[in-house]
Amino acid sequence: MEGSRSGRAGILGTWALAALVALGMFVWVAIPVVLIRPFEAQTPLGIALAYELRQKAPAVTLGGLVLLLPLLVRLARHVTRGWQWVPLVLLAALGGFPAWFARQNHFEWMFHPLSDPTYAPATLVQSVDDRDMVVAVEIGGDAVAWPVRQMGYHHIVQDKVGGVPVVSTY
Amino acid sequence: MRDEQTGSWWQQVSGEAIQGPLKGRRLAGVVHDEVSFGIWKAEHPGGRVLKANPRQKDRYESADWEHRMKKVRTVTPVSKGDPFPPRTVVIGVSVNGRAKAYPFPRMREESPVLDTLGGVPLVLVVGDDQKSIRVFERTLDGRRLEFLAKAGAQPLRLLDAETGSEWDFRGRAISGPLAGGQLTKVKALKEYWFDWKIYQPATAVYDRGEAFR
Repeated sequence: MEGSRSGRAGILGTWALAALVALGMFVWVAIPVVLIRPFEAQTPLGIALAYELRQKAPAVTLGGLVLLLPLLVRLARHVTRGWQWVPLVLLAALGGFPAWFARQNHFEWMFHPLSDPTYAPATLVQSVDDRDMVVAVEIGGDAVAWPVRQMGYHHIVQDKVGGVPVVSTY
Repeated sequence: MRDEQTGSWWQQVSGEAIQGPLKGRRLAGVVHDEVSFGIWKAEHPGGRVLKANPRQKDRYESADWEHRMKKVRTVTPVSKGDPFPPRTVVIGVSVNGRAKAYPFPRMREESPVLDTLGGVPLVLVVGDDQKSIRVFERTLDGRRLEFLAKAGAQPLRLLDAETGSEWDFRGRAISGPLAGGQLTKVKALKEYWFDWKIYQPATAVYDRGEAFR
């Protein structure tokens, strides 16, 4: 058995290690979000870094959780006072959030790409004003118009026009 | 943009993959129109239009959003020698590796604008709505044409100086010796100046057109 003194130092060390792991996970997923924001200038280096971090984020956060969970379990066993649950839960949240976020595409939250577009015949459409702008293509006699006001929300629509797969983006 | 298959990141304006396994590859561009719905509908009565998604209808951009966008700050560097303010709308054209920006307000005043870019004679035409614009190669069967607007015509009509044939906004000769002729459409991007110059750093800027000015 450990002496109470070294046991106490060990617990403090565990707290520090758990905080470091959780914080590291958080920073890992936060950096790409900060680097790639709408209406902010981007650099090739920033984009390359953001890409690498995002690519590896699922594996890194999984590894982080594998490290973090036994530490949290150990800390939970040594909880002596009620208030100690507060930092424990906070650490779990700090590590759990990045593990979840690494598996999300937050850009899609912002840009709402339309994956299953539906169309109406040009002569029957009521919702588009004659003065509204459209982006339009015609391939092999198939003429398609995407109203700009809708494209300004979805940003990406993909479909086949005249049999050719196209992506329209605004 | 990101593709699901490889996870590569694609630059929206150029269609080029800038990060990931497909880095350096480029999607083929499709010649497109950016015109008002009334004009498009009249030209394509059999066409189809993207339906508003009922769940998101209320969140679509309002009719005045372009006006509001003018006030959004830009983040790219503004250099002293810049010919226009950052949010000037330009028509960006790139032919045979030569790029040129045509400021939209001047196109409205001067349409049709005749120019030659990368060795290709061009005509830029602004539609009756004063918002739509199209760019064509102004050659037909190897013959170079010069256009002017037919005064007072509604909808707009162009005349070519060589034969006096009448042309519509689709670039089609509808009467005269060249009737039935169709000009070839040229890819053009309606863009803010600050954005165009980032992707086309060597871009020329429209100063004055050729002939009939």
